[in-house]
Amino acid sequence: MANGFLFDVRVIELGDERVDFCGKLFAGAGADVIKVEPPGGGPSRSIGPFYKDTPHPDRSLFFWHYNLAKRGVTLDIGAPQGSDVLRKLIGNATVLLDSTPLDTLENLGLDWAALQKLNPGLVYVRITSFGRSGPWRDFKGTDLVHLALGGEMMLCGYDPKPDGIHDTPPIAPQVWHAWHITGNQAFIAALGALIARADSGVGDMIDMPVHHAVSVCTEVDVPYWIYAKQACVRQTGRHAFPIVGPPSQHKGKDGRYSNVVANPFPGGRETMIAFLKEIGQASDLNDDKYKDPANLVGIDFVRHFGQVQANAVAAFGYEDVWRKAQDRGIPWVPVRHPDENLNDEQWQIRGTFGDVHHPEVGETLRYGIAPTRAEECPWRMGPRAPLVGEHNEAVFCDELGLTREELRRLKDSHVI
Amino acid sequence: MRPLEGVRILDLTWLLAGAGGPRLLAALGAEVIRLEWRDRLDFLRYSPPVVPIEGSTEERREIKSVNRGGLFNDNNPGKRSFSLNMAHPKGREVFKRLLKVSDVIVESFRADAMTKWGLGYDVLRSVNPEIIYVQQSGWGHKGPYWKYASYGPIAQAISGLTDQSGLPEPSPPAGWGYSYMDWSGAYYTAISMLLAIYYKKRTGKGQYIDGSQIEPAIFMTGAAILDYLVNGRHWERTGNRAPYKPAAPHGAYPCEGVDRWIAIAVGADDEWRALVAEMGNPAWTRDPKFASLATRIINQDELDARVGEWTRMQDAFALQDRLQKAGVPAGVCQTSQDRVERDPQLKHLKWLIPLPNAESGKWPIKDVPFHFTRATVDQGGPIGRASPCYGEDNDYVYGELLKMPAQERADLEKEGVI
Repeated sequence: MANGFLFDVRVIELGDERVDFCGKLFAGAGADVIKVEPPGGGPSRSIGPFYKDTPHPDRSLFFWHYNLAKRGVTLDIGAPQGSDVLRKLIGNATVLLDSTPLDTLENLGLDWAALQKLNPGLVYVRITSFGRSGPWRDFKGTDLVHLALGGEMMLCGYDPKPDGIHDTPPIAPQVWHAWHITGNQAFIAALGALIARADSGVGDMIDMPVHHAVSVCTEVDVPYWIYAKQACVRQTGRHAFPIVGPPSQHKGKDGRYSNVVANPFPGGRETMIAFLKEIGQASDLNDDKYKDPANLVGIDFVRHFGQVQANAVAAFGYEDVWRKAQDRGIPWVPVRHPDENLNDEQWQIRGTFGDVHHPEVGETLRYGIAPTRAEECPWRMGPRAPLVGEHNEAVFCDELGLTREELRRLKDSHVI
Repeated sequence: MRPLEGVRILDLTWLLAGAGGPRLLAALGAEVIRLEWRDRLDFLRYSPPVVPIEGSTEERREIKSVNRGGLFNDNNPGKRSFSLNMAHPKGREVFKRLLKVSDVIVESFRADAMTKWGLGYDVLRSVNPEIIYVQQSGWGHKGPYWKYASYGPIAQAISGLTDQSGLPEPSPPAGWGYSYMDWSGAYYTAISMLLAIYYKKRTGKGQYIDGSQIEPAIFMTGAAILDYLVNGRHWERTGNRAPYKPAAPHGAYPCEGVDRWIAIAVGADDEWRALVAEMGNPAWTRDPKFASLATRIINQDELDARVGEWTRMQDAFALQDRLQKAGVPAGVCQTSQDRVERDPQLKHLKWLIPLPNAESGKWPIKDVPFHFTRATVDQGGPIGRASPCYGEDNDYVYGELLKMPAQERADLEKEGVI
């Protein structure tokens, strides 16, 4: 019976690292995702880090994470026999994810009209850097370039000097977020098309330019410009804003940082002061003058309050007091390394991580597998990402009906 | 035809991490009806920037209306709004009537709010057996931290995203300069609803999804987690340099003007040769230090300084166009003004769509980035509007949808329920 949200969906995935994450979401949600790579393996197998720091197409940890639970075949789609097989694959698919260079499928005679003829129910998601038309159509995009053009970088970095001028560059948030932002929104669009298809039986083509996806994924900067013609200034570890606000990221006695709400919501200040008293860090906030709410407002108070908070954070290690603060409703957390969530019981209880076995290296590794918690349709825990061409025989022979002999010939002529 | 035509979503979300989810489903054609109550409004309804009245020159620093919050307008286009007091027992009865005619209920309250109202999943399901219930809280409903507070910077800090961004030690993390996890939280609110709608179409079954703002962030740090498990390495920040895919130069370089920067990302040798040619083949580029990608990476400090000297006096956009034409990946670190007023590609993609709000009039709203060929999809949704005014659609919800007798509605209004 049904297993996973997308139990009856088959996806063909073509392209590079721009498409991996979207395919990963499909696979995690239960779809059968077949990643089609050129013979020898696709470009995202060369992205690090690598298992034991040794580059190898089957040892890329990037590839492992972003291709979990997919199947993999190799195929030279540009070769005549290869494009025939590709047609068969697409004919059997529900969704085609494609981030190949511009015009790749068109040059094989597979434009949208041809794809529809081949498979009227096909949902075709076309991911390109800048779109299939327009003045920047042929621009080259990378993760960094997209986060620059999309606006993210200008919002991220460090405080300006006191004179308002930055002496540090904007910083691109790491790592691979242009692809995350695109993959998330491409998945949303594809699901919309699949829902329509469930009623109509008819597919659709969705153009998904990375530049557009990334440009809409900023927050307050565009409304501030449109409505108030105000620019937002980047600031260390907190929101870019028209004015420079009080810091919220402070260093603890162990040299590690914490993020503490700098300007609590209404009612939050009193709670915070009470908590600071409890941990012996209220400084002069115990004084009578702060019993008058009128003295708990204004920029001077906010600055002073921020300094008291900074001193409080400095008195402890980064994991020491935050849970106590949160128990009292105060947004306060340690700035963790990604791996430091592995042993947190919150995520263990929720099943945020899952164990994936890698027989080739004889290890079972813990992956972040569940972006949400769904008991009816659990996110898939594996299997591990496919080896190069691992499912050639299963897909081409058992499912598409090629004979073993035909498969051997394709292999001999380097089509697979 | 819109893809989600006929799907009705009862929207109890707020801010962005919640409200952004139904926003995306409205664009896809769902009917989103947003439940609000005057005593506990989404505070973005009255937060700056204020939306000016279209065509007027009024002084707009003072916020006079709950219908003029600029961020609210951007977070809630395509939705309807109705007023209902859930703290009142009769309000919860009316809510159950709406539940019967809805496909999805989505909320982003603290994890215990609905059970406190006696509206846990069991109750919702007893009213509407096929209901889809998506709960999007900070840390998730299940687990010891269910009561904890979260918003964008908190989710980013605990998950590891903050740690990943910024200059190398001893510089502190720079993190994200906005609530990235509000948008990402919104994406997963949308994804949860859409996956469940699809599943219901195929099986007839509704379900409950316990979403959190933080888990999608952990999900996105997975490669770094594997690096730790396999190679014993904690993440180390690299500024704008590429940690995982060899490239150099790879960074933001100063240009003419104040705080003007261009990102240049050179990986393959042909891109390097093209950059060298554009720089006019200066002698330093022939130093063996820069002969291969491997040596360019080793000598990045000097390389970055050299490239920066060259970019410093140049117009950022002219340089970008020139480099791109030569095949070098490059892009200006664009401001919001650049994107709204200058970017010719975004203009071509029609990334801003003018949509009306009943009080402030027509203003540009960020449209969804997915361009459907057959279906109609845009951020105005089925009603073609920007954000709703408070209670703007009470007539629609209580009249058309629930067919509530006028007398009953008047009584409920008198009792402070509607």
